[in-house]
Amino acid sequence: MDILWLTMSAAVAIAVPALATAWAQSRIGASAAATLAEKPELSTTVILMIAIPETMVILGFVVALMILLQGGA
Amino acid sequence: MIVSMARVRILGPRERLEAVLGELQDMEVLHVAPPVSLTPPGGAPSAEAPGVEAEAQADRNVATTRKRIEAIGWLLERLPATDGRGRTRPDLPDRKEELDDLLSRLHRAVAALGEQQVGRSHERARVARMRELLETFRGLDALRGHSGATHPYFLIVETPDGRAVQELREGLARLLDGGFELLEGPRSDGETPAVLLVPGDRTGEVERLLAGAGIQELPLTAGGADATRSPDERLEALDARLATLGSRLDRLGRRYRAPLEDRLQAEHDRLLALEARASAATSRHAFVLQGFVPEDAVRRLESRLHERVGPTVVVERQGREEWQGELAPVVLHNPRLFRPFEAITRTLPLPRYGSIDPTPFVAVFFPMFFGVIVGDVAYGTVIAALALLLRRGSAADGLRRSVAEIAGACAAFTIVFGFLYGEFAGDLGRRLFGLRPLLLDREEALVPFLALAIALGFVQVVLGLVLGAVSSFRGHRRESLGRGLSALMLVLVALALLAAVEVLPHGFFTPAIVALLVAFPVLVVLEGFLAPIELLSTLGNVLSYARIMAVGTASVMMAVVANRLAGAVGGVLVGILFGLLFHLVNFGLALFGPTIHGLRLHYVEFFGKFFSPGGTQYRPFGHWRPEPGPPSNPNAVKAARSV
Repeated sequence: MDILWLTMSAAVAIAVPALATAWAQSRIGASAAATLAEKPELSTTVILMIAIPETMVILGFVVALMILLQGGA
Repeated sequence: MIVSMARVRILGPRERLEAVLGELQDMEVLHVAPPVSLTPPGGAPSAEAPGVEAEAQADRNVATTRKRIEAIGWLLERLPATDGRGRTRPDLPDRKEELDDLLSRLHRAVAALGEQQVGRSHERARVARMRELLETFRGLDALRGHSGATHPYFLIVETPDGRAVQELREGLARLLDGGFELLEGPRSDGETPAVLLVPGDRTGEVERLLAGAGIQELPLTAGGADATRSPDERLEALDARLATLGSRLDRLGRRYRAPLEDRLQAEHDRLLALEARASAATSRHAFVLQGFVPEDAVRRLESRLHERVGPTVVVERQGREEWQGELAPVVLHNPRLFRPFEAITRTLPLPRYGSIDPTPFVAVFFPMFFGVIVGDVAYGTVIAALALLLRRGSAADGLRRSVAEIAGACAAFTIVFGFLYGEFAGDLGRRLFGLRPLLLDREEALVPFLALAIALGFVQVVLGLVLGAVSSFRGHRRESLGRGLSALMLVLVALALLAAVEVLPHGFFTPAIVALLVAFPVLVVLEGFLAPIELLSTLGNVLSYARIMAVGTASVMMAVVANRLAGAVGGVLVGILFGLLFHLVNFGLALFGPTIHGLRLHYVEFFGKFFSPGGTQYRPFGHWRPEPGPPSNPNAVKAARSV
């Protein structure tokens, strides 16, 4: 049972930030496409803007890993 | 590194100004600063100073030169480039009025030839279409043997949906009560060719109907074969005319293109000189011109002006306290090994003069991060091969060369870390020739890999804070101290954490926490109440480097899965192909992901701690070059590097 809760917690810890990142990237991506249509020279900035929300899922990944390792899974 | 600049003031007799400008234009080292006023503060303008009329004349000269450049540019766009054979290359007149007159005549001639070419080309397209339609009627000669009892009409019915022909048929039926013949050809481009035979005595009514329906009649006077020959002849005539027009343009191009190109260069140079001249302050007897020169070029500038213009012209170096560093132009100059990485820093605005050029740090950290993430001998070797391929035939200072050299550095780090992790196409090296990890096994040692990633982040973020403190020390002492203290607190946090998990002796824990508690109020005093939030955000920045481990682990797991799938699928050949395909996908991801994440870590986490954008590009007054894009004068960098 403990293992179940442990793995569920880890899954939630990464799934929620992953969904949040995906939502943020979808919004930024749409705006980025519009920006690039008018100013192609901003491509570097745009790629970086898209990469920025990934911090959320990276932190979620770290937390999930800590849950699993601390729990001895 | 940002090249050190000196602000200089060039003074001399007014009659020497043109000579000085000529020398400066050839030297291409002076970044001209905005004009200075020779009027004493609070004083009235000197009666001897050139007045409003002189300024207006200068403006007129600039406007005329711009207009001439535009006119020459217009001609060069239209005059064909020739191979040089039979080129007569006459000199263009030196007198401006004669030159403008010649340009005006050439403009008229080229415009007329161009118009004729366009007109004839359109006509040719129409005739070609007409010929195509007439081909449809070729087989209808028998119908044209009329003797006056019937009259033929050759029609083009514009009918996007095909309904217009049907409506015509219905109109004719009503008018002629079925006494007509309407034959349709195949519809193309929304037009249907048709031939209509009507009784000879009803032509008037039919023509009124056709006019009312807006239907065109092909102007054919002869039937069948004659009609199709006529367009052929017209096409031949039009081709001959177009060839004549083309050869006339070629003749003009052979004669005038090269001298016009020379003159374009001269006029651009003249415009640059006029603009530089406008930046010089003049009185009746003297001039002053000021600007920025790379520190190492000042002596060369002094001696050249002394030799070529004379001792009456003086180059005076202004003290650092007389000018603001923020106003100085910026040119980056890095050692050969680091120079390709300027391509990465140039995607951001230039750093301010007096701040720190991040290129050397990027040159060390970026390929290292790439290598830590990918860390595979096989992938590194392929990247090295691609880098060599990209480098072949690339221009010395081009972007392609820079990308190839950056890729080369990334490949070297990838191979090194590949050996440290014991990876060759994932675990293939281990299986085939017993490759063993020298540092850690990424498949198993997740926590040590995470610790390595966070440690790299810690080093880079602390370095960023220290650089920020150094960079702002001169102008913003308080901010500098705040950044330095943040770096110190970050180190204390790391010490406390390491002591807590007993990597360091536990005795470190209490002193580190006490030091943090003491530093905290000092930080708030120095940086305000938002400082604690910034400190937390800096800790978040360090944790953000966990992506190095996350992306790296994903990469190695994909490679391992590729190898296992290859072994699990059917026959040997299919397995190898499947494995290769999977590795190819993983390799593509390994190129893209680490690059994006590496750049992001630099731009957001690292640069955010010290980078001060807003520098002005160094653009020395020099000769015009036709290459587009910044820097507008490519000699800017070359000149700075040559000093």
